[in-house]
Amino acid sequence: MKQNSLWKDAFFRLAKDKLALFSLVIVLIYFLVALLSSMGLLASTWSQEVGASNLPPSLEHLFGTDIFGRSVLQKVIRGTQVAMSVGVAASIIAIPIGVLLGAFAGYFGGWIDDFVTWLYTTFSSVPNIMLLISITLILGKGIFAVYIALGATSWVTLCRLIRGEVMKHKEREYVQAAGAIGGGHMRKLFRHILPNVSHIIIINTSMQFQIAIKSEVILSYLGLGVQGEPSWGTMIDDAKLELVRGVWWQLAGATVAMFFILLAFNILSDALRDALDPKLKGK
Amino acid sequence: MKSLVLVLTGVLLLSVGCSKDRSFDERELHLISPEKIAGFDPIQISDMYSGNEAGKVYEGLFEFHPYKRPYELIPNLAAALPVVSADGLVYTFTLKKGVKFHDSPAFPDGKGKEFKSDDVIYSIKRLGDPKLQAKGWWLFDDKIAGLNEWRDKNSALEASNYAEEIEGLKKIDDYTVAIKLKRPYPQFLYALAMPQLFIVAKEAVDHFGKEFLNHPVGTGPFVLPVFEQTNRIVYTKNPTFREKFFPSEGEEGDDKLGLLADAGKKIPLVDKIIVDIIVESQPKWLGFQKAKADLLEIPKDNFDSAVVGGKELAPDLKAKGIRLFANAMLDVTFFAFNHDDPTFKANKKLRQAMSLAWDRAEANKLFYNSSAIEAQSVIPPGLGGYRKEFKNPYVKFDLEQAKKLLAEAGYPKGKGLPTITVQTRNETVARQIIEHFAKCQERIGIKVKVGMNTWPELINKVTKRQHQLYTMAWGADYPDAENFLGLLYCPNSSPGSNGSNYCNPDFDALFKTATVLQDSPERSSMYEKMNEMVAIENPWIFGFHRTKFYLSHAWLKNFKFMEFNHTQFQYLNVDLEVKKELSKKF
Repeated sequence: MKQNSLWKDAFFRLAKDKLALFSLVIVLIYFLVALLSSMGLLASTWSQEVGASNLPPSLEHLFGTDIFGRSVLQKVIRGTQVAMSVGVAASIIAIPIGVLLGAFAGYFGGWIDDFVTWLYTTFSSVPNIMLLISITLILGKGIFAVYIALGATSWVTLCRLIRGEVMKHKEREYVQAAGAIGGGHMRKLFRHILPNVSHIIIINTSMQFQIAIKSEVILSYLGLGVQGEPSWGTMIDDAKLELVRGVWWQLAGATVAMFFILLAFNILSDALRDALDPKLKGK
Repeated sequence: MKSLVLVLTGVLLLSVGCSKDRSFDERELHLISPEKIAGFDPIQISDMYSGNEAGKVYEGLFEFHPYKRPYELIPNLAAALPVVSADGLVYTFTLKKGVKFHDSPAFPDGKGKEFKSDDVIYSIKRLGDPKLQAKGWWLFDDKIAGLNEWRDKNSALEASNYAEEIEGLKKIDDYTVAIKLKRPYPQFLYALAMPQLFIVAKEAVDHFGKEFLNHPVGTGPFVLPVFEQTNRIVYTKNPTFREKFFPSEGEEGDDKLGLLADAGKKIPLVDKIIVDIIVESQPKWLGFQKAKADLLEIPKDNFDSAVVGGKELAPDLKAKGIRLFANAMLDVTFFAFNHDDPTFKANKKLRQAMSLAWDRAEANKLFYNSSAIEAQSVIPPGLGGYRKEFKNPYVKFDLEQAKKLLAEAGYPKGKGLPTITVQTRNETVARQIIEHFAKCQERIGIKVKVGMNTWPELINKVTKRQHQLYTMAWGADYPDAENFLGLLYCPNSSPGSNGSNYCNPDFDALFKTATVLQDSPERSSMYEKMNEMVAIENPWIFGFHRTKFYLSHAWLKNFKFMEFNHTQFQYLNVDLEVKKELSKKF
């Protein structure tokens, strides 16, 4: 019987799960929309008036218009760009920090481990939203601050998981074998151990991504997030005043957009874990 | 297990349903403050919300009559109106006797001391103390003989020397003070009614030190031992408050409205004031609907459900006994350019272009239900200096001219102009106003961004000149247009009230001449000239003079709209019978 590699195997298992595949497609669509929007090919005219103030959804304006007569659909698309960019940026910041700190702590132990453990326990002891608010207050408001704030808070889980896995792996035979043929610490860590724990990064990122999206919405809702750009959070903030007048479409647009991406990410990260985690193999 | 959970939930729901946080034994006044309070130190107050809170604990020498209109100044801590010397420079005040400060650990034995002339002199000196950088200093800057000299001398010292006597502040006896002015200052008595001139006790300032702003110790009708930055402030009646009685006179018709029913009664009339700080509109509206607040300024999005046809109260509210008050305000909203910023300072055309690009009619409709008046300049209607016929050529919506001026300003189609950040309050409507403004500016190619701040943060940014453009409203402190024109007077620049740091020598010269005159047609025409001179310079983008709409519940008695309302609360009353009866409907 031919043995597939871990990745190939995982892919086949993922492909068997129709729901997960569907979620993957949704996530890819969101990415595509965000990409097109950031290139100015979609929703570049979001700030322009397309009709009267607060028009309900119709064939002409699919999601209706907001208080200034701007298209809610375009705002949702633009909000998608903001949300996805926050997810990506937060991951780009969090992954290197989490992986490196976790790997070093797990592999070397001793004072490095003490230090890293102290660092992440300190970080995680502060309620996340408080930390986010204080970071945005220090850095000034705006999307850049949101990137940094979310990046700086979301590495903790990844770091902890990687540290644990590396600790487990460093005693394994294949690592000892690598040492026996003369591999140094760095080689053992980066060539041998990390590839074997990399599935954790993928699973964790897909989970962190949706947390980042949610946090961005919360921050923007509180007025601490993006400024002067549509965000799902500010749309919901607008809606809380408009709802009494029966203007529900901004809330609906933002929530529906958020709902699908969060659901898709949730299903996908579940499926990824099933597919990639060796412990769940054969289940 | 599941059934237990169900039972528990049921009990919980039931208890919530039965509990009423309304009490009918104590007269409680429930009010809403729409902003966080920046502390209780009178000299550092620069906004009406903090002034309103300080006015519950502190008092000044004078106050405005709660019912008479036009506004009339009446003695509060002073025993009578002052005796003024023939040259109009020396004011002799007699003070009320037997007025006690609140009981506080700051005093020996914790018993409040008696209010005397030393406290008046101390409070005025404190406003001028260079170490404290009082935000209210503009009121007395260059006004009182010897005070500026004292200020300058002390700025070099380690600590200000309060023992030194000042020529203009003379204690005649414990209950008489003579204040000498440098030059006539017709607004002087108005200033003495303002929160910045509330009387504080030296003992309390010394005792609490830096924490003084959180430990108000005044002579006022209510006490608040400690102020904490929470969302609820609870004041209780001051047990040692002097004999002060409800006025028996008001504007014509006030007695028919029942406003004077409590005439002759000892005030304050309520036992407790509970102020909830609620920034957002919807919780305010819902709180009022549930009778958790007695008085409410109608939020813009609820306007249509509260007021029918722009005038009449909605029937469902009327059925609950709710009353509607509509009042034109003595105020102006504006976007102020920071003239420290070279982009705006030297570029009048840029400022004018931005003014022309703003669609005020649309903003009025979106944010004020078309009830506001477009401001042509700084002075609101109702004050001498406002001329109805005057139209500012840059207060209109004209994109073509805006584009032309922008090109002449050196930024054709906005090219080369950096993104401009407008600082505002962190609140949904405040943000929407800027978003609308940004949308308008984008049409001529100017990029505008929102900067959101808590109220104290915003004031701080303006005071420290860390802004490009900020938006705010100015409400009259007293019925004199000087109060508005002073917002553009150069010596009032930040940390004073001129947050735009605008300087215009011609304007300043006129201001100096006009503001020492007593109210007269001559002065009004000078005010008009200044108002119109500054209008076309556009140091601000002029916004609106607003109309305020209030709703009050039937049990709230004696409420009459008041522009200078920081002392109004002591006159309000709650009819517990009516409240008990009506509360079944909520």
